[in-house]
Amino acid sequence: MRIIAVAQNTFRESVRDKVLYVLLFFAASTILGSKAIGWISIGQDIKVMKDICLASVLLFGVLIAIFVGTTLVHKEIDKRTLYTILARPMRRYEFILGKYLGLGWLLGLVTAVMTVAAALYIVALGGGVDLVFFEAALLIYWELLLITAFAILMSSMTSPILGALVVFSIFVLGHGTRILADLPRQFDDVAGKRALELLYYVLPNFSNFNLLREAANSVPVSGAYVGWAMLYGTIYSVFLLAAASAAFERKDM
Amino acid sequence: MQAIVTHELTKVYAGARVGRSLSASLDKLDLSIGQNEVFGFLGRNGAGKTTSIKLICSLLRPTRGDAMIFGEDCRLPRARRHIGYLPENPYFYEYLTSRETIDFFGRLQGLNAPSRAKEWDRLAELFDLGGIRDQRVRTFSKGMRQRLGFAVALVGDPPLLILDEPMSGLDPLGRRLFRNVILKLRDDKKTIFFSSHVLSDVEQICDRVGILVKGRLTVQGRLDQLLERQIQLVEVILEGVDKQMEETLLPRCSAVRRSEAGTHFYVTTLEAGNELVRTAMEHGAALVEFNPVRESLEDYFIRSQEAGRP
Repeated sequence: MRIIAVAQNTFRESVRDKVLYVLLFFAASTILGSKAIGWISIGQDIKVMKDICLASVLLFGVLIAIFVGTTLVHKEIDKRTLYTILARPMRRYEFILGKYLGLGWLLGLVTAVMTVAAALYIVALGGGVDLVFFEAALLIYWELLLITAFAILMSSMTSPILGALVVFSIFVLGHGTRILADLPRQFDDVAGKRALELLYYVLPNFSNFNLLREAANSVPVSGAYVGWAMLYGTIYSVFLLAAASAAFERKDM
Repeated sequence: MQAIVTHELTKVYAGARVGRSLSASLDKLDLSIGQNEVFGFLGRNGAGKTTSIKLICSLLRPTRGDAMIFGEDCRLPRARRHIGYLPENPYFYEYLTSRETIDFFGRLQGLNAPSRAKEWDRLAELFDLGGIRDQRVRTFSKGMRQRLGFAVALVGDPPLLILDEPMSGLDPLGRRLFRNVILKLRDDKKTIFFSSHVLSDVEQICDRVGILVKGRLTVQGRLDQLLERQIQLVEVILEGVDKQMEETLLPRCSAVRRSEAGTHFYVTTLEAGNELVRTAMEHGAALVEFNPVRESLEDYFIRSQEAGRP
């Protein structure tokens, strides 16, 4: 009950945050503008539109997850709203989990609204939307949940600016893990090789959640793959939330 | 069972160094507060009052020592079920209304919807929140926030109230409201632990006080016991004192003055005052007033701060 109370409150707080609406405005503009970019690529317009629409769902979702997520816990400490909450019979991990779920609900709503709006727009322009389009959106949402877990971890440890920089770097590096996999072979130094290998294994592989190409080309993806990617994201998120709870547990208010 | 017991509770903040040694913000606090007691926690800014309160509420981790709430370690959530906490300058979610704020804290306390509705009715009446029921916290004045903060502390009717500077920043009406609520809570057999700079309020409300000086509890005890042994002066006002009697009594006094009420004699002890009255009455004078001038809590507090000890 306490977790749900914090989650609902976080959702309500985020919904009332003006940054959300600025980001949604830009997301909607990008989706609507995708027609113009699709028009440039002759004969490929629907394909390009699908690609741009899903990419904008990911990009704006990531911005919301980072900007809102990295401030969530830090803001409560900074504004001292936490004092009265943690003096209640509440475990600190319950607070972390509540914050995560609240932002998760918001991202779920944002992803669903943007995906459905994009699908309707594509259909209205004469294109077809198949199952893989929605599977791609589902995995984007799972990626956003994982990024949110990173953001919450950083928020319970450091300032929002540093946290946002770190999480954004992880997002970029996590999409380039294939490059990281190839890099060690080009190194002679053993320590450098090991460090890059470690980075490869430690960083999340966000390409596991990337079905943009399949969605644009209407290439079916097996349910097992989607399930595996979701399991991977869930395990990673649980680990990050446990780390966030441990860090928060030790924090003086 | 005691409501609060602390044993050598110590907090050293990281980086709080004085010379080569670490400086403790709170040093070996041993405190024992019984049930239904009103305990005033005094000290200058930075003496360690808020640190002590935060440690008891488990907002800070102690460097050493421990704190128990009704026999349970304060770090356990079930121990905090007994606590209602009002921080100094309470902050709440700006986008919530006062009704939503009470409801939110009711949920954290584990109350169901009907109980939360009842809590709102009870607290809205106690703190006169009805008129600001649907007003967002962001529009609240300091006094309104403080009222809401006190109401939040009472959500779930906890037996122990920990109030950090509850009167701070309140206007006279607000102070009176808070004082009356605290007195009502005392009548309801609640345990109240509060820090304050308003010593007249502490004197009026508290059974016992503790004084912190630079992180150390230098004195704790019942107010009447602490201040009784500090009688500074006894003022005896007599009527019908002639010149001859005044000269007889003068050697026993430290000072004499005349007013419309009569002749004022000042002696330093109760015994000397009694002796003076007896002699004067034997000589036909009448007693108008007998005033032992006790040290006020404020005098006592200032003296303890200046000396660094009581």
